[in-house]
Amino acid sequence: MPVVRLDTARLTRMVGAGKKLVVERLPYLGLDIESVEKGSIRVEYSPNRPDFGSDFGIARALRGILGKEVGLPSYSTRPSGLSVEVDGRLSRVRPYIACATATGLRLSDEDIRQIIALQEDLHNGLGRRRRKVAVGLHDLDKVRPPLSYHGMKSSFKFRPLGQKREFTIRSILDSTEEGRTYGGALGGTRLYPVISDSNGTVLSFPPIINGDATKVSGKTKRMLIEVTSTDRKAGDDVLAIVATTLAEAGGKVGSALVKYTRPRTTPDLSPTEVKLDQAMVRRVIGLDLTSRQIADSLERSRMGVRGTRVQVPRYRIDLLHPVDLSEEVALGYGTDRIGPLYPASEHPGSFDQFEQFLDRASTIMSGMGMTELMTYELVDEDSLYSKFARESSRKISVQNPRSSEHSVLRDSLIPTMMSVLSANVKAEYPQRVYEIGRVYSRSKGGVKESWKLGCLIAHSQATYSEAKMHLEATCRTLAGKEVVATASGHWSFAPGRSAVVRIGKEELGVVGEVRPEALSAFRVNVPISGFELDLSALREQLK
Amino acid sequence: MLSTLSAPGSLDFDSLVREAGLQVDQVRRALSWLSSKGLVETNEAKTTSVEMGAKVPPELLLFEKVQSSSGAVTLESLRGSFESADEFSAALGRARGHGWIKIDQKSSPPAVSVEDSRGPKAMEAVIEAVRNGEDQSLSDDQSRILVDLLRRGLVRQDEKTVLSVSITSAGRIAAPPQTEEYLDRLTPAVLATGAWRGKSLRPIDVEAKAPVFYPGRRHPVRDFIREVKEAYISMGFTELEGESVHPAFWNFDALFIPQDHPGREMQDTFYIEGMSDKKLARSGVVDRVAATHENGWRTGSRGWGGIWRVEEARRLVLRTHNTVLTVKALSESKDKETRVFAVSKVYRNENLDYKHLHEFYQMDGIMVGEGLNVRHLMGFLKEFYKKLGMKDVKLWPSYFPYTEPSLQVMGYSDVAKDWVELGGSGVFRPEVTLPLGVKVPVLAWGPGIERLMLLRFGMSDLRELYGNDLSWLRSRPEIAGS
Repeated sequence: MPVVRLDTARLTRMVGAGKKLVVERLPYLGLDIESVEKGSIRVEYSPNRPDFGSDFGIARALRGILGKEVGLPSYSTRPSGLSVEVDGRLSRVRPYIACATATGLRLSDEDIRQIIALQEDLHNGLGRRRRKVAVGLHDLDKVRPPLSYHGMKSSFKFRPLGQKREFTIRSILDSTEEGRTYGGALGGTRLYPVISDSNGTVLSFPPIINGDATKVSGKTKRMLIEVTSTDRKAGDDVLAIVATTLAEAGGKVGSALVKYTRPRTTPDLSPTEVKLDQAMVRRVIGLDLTSRQIADSLERSRMGVRGTRVQVPRYRIDLLHPVDLSEEVALGYGTDRIGPLYPASEHPGSFDQFEQFLDRASTIMSGMGMTELMTYELVDEDSLYSKFARESSRKISVQNPRSSEHSVLRDSLIPTMMSVLSANVKAEYPQRVYEIGRVYSRSKGGVKESWKLGCLIAHSQATYSEAKMHLEATCRTLAGKEVVATASGHWSFAPGRSAVVRIGKEELGVVGEVRPEALSAFRVNVPISGFELDLSALREQLK
Repeated sequence: MLSTLSAPGSLDFDSLVREAGLQVDQVRRALSWLSSKGLVETNEAKTTSVEMGAKVPPELLLFEKVQSSSGAVTLESLRGSFESADEFSAALGRARGHGWIKIDQKSSPPAVSVEDSRGPKAMEAVIEAVRNGEDQSLSDDQSRILVDLLRRGLVRQDEKTVLSVSITSAGRIAAPPQTEEYLDRLTPAVLATGAWRGKSLRPIDVEAKAPVFYPGRRHPVRDFIREVKEAYISMGFTELEGESVHPAFWNFDALFIPQDHPGREMQDTFYIEGMSDKKLARSGVVDRVAATHENGWRTGSRGWGGIWRVEEARRLVLRTHNTVLTVKALSESKDKETRVFAVSKVYRNENLDYKHLHEFYQMDGIMVGEGLNVRHLMGFLKEFYKKLGMKDVKLWPSYFPYTEPSLQVMGYSDVAKDWVELGGSGVFRPEVTLPLGVKVPVLAWGPGIERLMLLRFGMSDLRELYGNDLSWLRSRPEIAGS
């Protein structure tokens, strides 16, 4: 989840309340306090509230729930006279552009830091790592309107932000960090989107990098915001969040004309309207609130209330359904003021019978003096296959695992249990261990899951006979069944010391002495015997 | 040897050899074995001893010569008894200095005669004591004489190491019985014949260390899960069990998680390579869910917009939460009043570190019923966590795509002395319940168990829980915190 760094003195000034109260109430906006340091607070916010990406948005919400400033914040726009020509061919690459201006700005360093951090979070969140939406901020005084949003070839050159010379689009994509990181967001296109002004100065090569000529500095008084996207609504949402944040920072927002076939004016900062269903609010929260209490609570959540119509500020993009207003009421009312009520049950609960079966198997194994292990189901290919010189054509892999240690789903417990014994060669022998775990195998083009019981016995005198004795005792005491062992090879056990076991006609497991090649591969210097039993199949038999 | 040593006191090595009637090397070997087993203790002590040198003190020789002759003797006749003129004159000087003899210079030649016949007695006693090894019991005057003799090299001093051997209490037990009255142990024969009557069991070293033993143990995570299940069942919940691999549809889409949600990406979710669910088609519940994503269907929602793709929903995933089990149960139970839970593993494509695991347990539950609301959710969570030992629980607003409102459970940890995040909860959105045909409220939560376990065990690294360190698994105290 994204994190915002809040300057404590600045925030308390913006809110008009003391530090103690601010820190106490932040969690009741849904903000998780990560740390409180000297002079600053770090909070995590949920991705559904991108308007919390700067302290401007957090202060706006805090003023609401503290009752310092309630109701709908209003944001007006005036036409800026700026227009953008759009190249129709970009509809296949990155179709949407929306712009706004903010003038009369007097930004401090911290203002700029907050706005840049917001922009970064928007790129990663709503922007889906810039693939869906990218935002560019420019010094409007260095731009000569009108703008043009057009497709260029990879040989097109300009001077990207922070560079001393011109680069072609191709070399930006191949040799700059931004190009390599975000180049994939454009897909396989031969036409690259570029925003330039009437002088031909390049503002941006979205979503990769801005031009150097129009960069924002501490002296910037008038700002241009351009947003490009593959989804018009997402682009408009991002523009609205940036524009309203700049308005909170003291800017006057101006609109621009984007010249599609059917031209449109951006941004639209007018509130959206949602119908208030008071009965639903009372039903969801469980409190018999009056209409007045509901309206007050919504106003503290910075909504406007006109009878049964609720005006939602434009920067709130997370309200999808009338039920969402119930949370706004809960927040405005104060989640900590809603009293808990435990609904006692009239019916008894019950264990799952199979889970009970597994639990009993564990009790029996521990009763035989064994130590229970719990290993991972995703394992490395080496311990599952190579160390047993086993072919791996039926392996089940996961895509792009972060670690090769956890890349294949196990089909047996024996390999991970061997890894455990390998890691414990310094612990006292005898070592007698068991595990009850899920294993995976291919079946009819899909994945079959079953539960197995694995048991390994390691000490200088460990034999086939000791393993078989425990296997027989397990089946007898767990299920009242006698097993029949038939000599048969197995990849984990030594030839001549290996058998399959059946209960009735069905093969339910294997028992044997671990082959010396495997002992050596796992660097264990004592003999190991053991068994593996299919508990899912055994349980089926008992039904 | 043990029998020989059983008598009180210790024996030196030579005596032991003598009394045991064994060869020196036999005793050496036996001692090294017995002391390695802790049955005997050996102690090396350095002792010094003195013995007479080859020569008698010359002054004493001189005195004897004088005394043995009748009357005075001439110097000339005495000189012949000494090795050199120096030795003679030194002997003469000392004997005269001690006042043992006198020299009559007036006679010619000068004559020597006894002055004090008892004079040399003290020195003779010292020599006698040295010869008998009784040099420890000399008087102060005699000691002075001894020191003088040592200095002159007439008495030699030797340093010697003496090995003394004594039996330990364990050795006494191992020693063959000294008496017929002791029984080594009770045997069925001894009990049957009554041969034990009138005899005692030979005392053993009851304070000695016993061999280390490890009882069989269930895994602490299994026992904790059992505790969680019992808490649920005591609150009227029925347990669910289910598979780990599911189509993305049940893990994500049915929970109104948009198809381009970052959590669905491969960086966060394990997708099974080369397999997908072939049956899933856009009809029935799948179609209703699809429409809800695209435009809200009849749920009253705006939906996420965009196009919902069935291929994405068919991908097989290792469940990222157990809500996949509860939501499937919900699609079957519909509006029936239901309380179900599952404590099972979930899987996330994470790098392992002290606070992240790629496989861990969650304890999800849902409560379905007419009239349920946020207050009931809060009430349940407080009660549930109380049963698991978290007395103080706070609920903070939070966000999950499938619940509205959403609450984060914070618990006060006496161990960490702070509020810790325990897990998420909320009321299922209409976008989740209505496509499944459920019209009544559904309360849902899905917290992890590992964090609670770390607090319980006073551990700080999640990986330790699944480290399978045998010494921890075998020796950890059953009652945590003790």
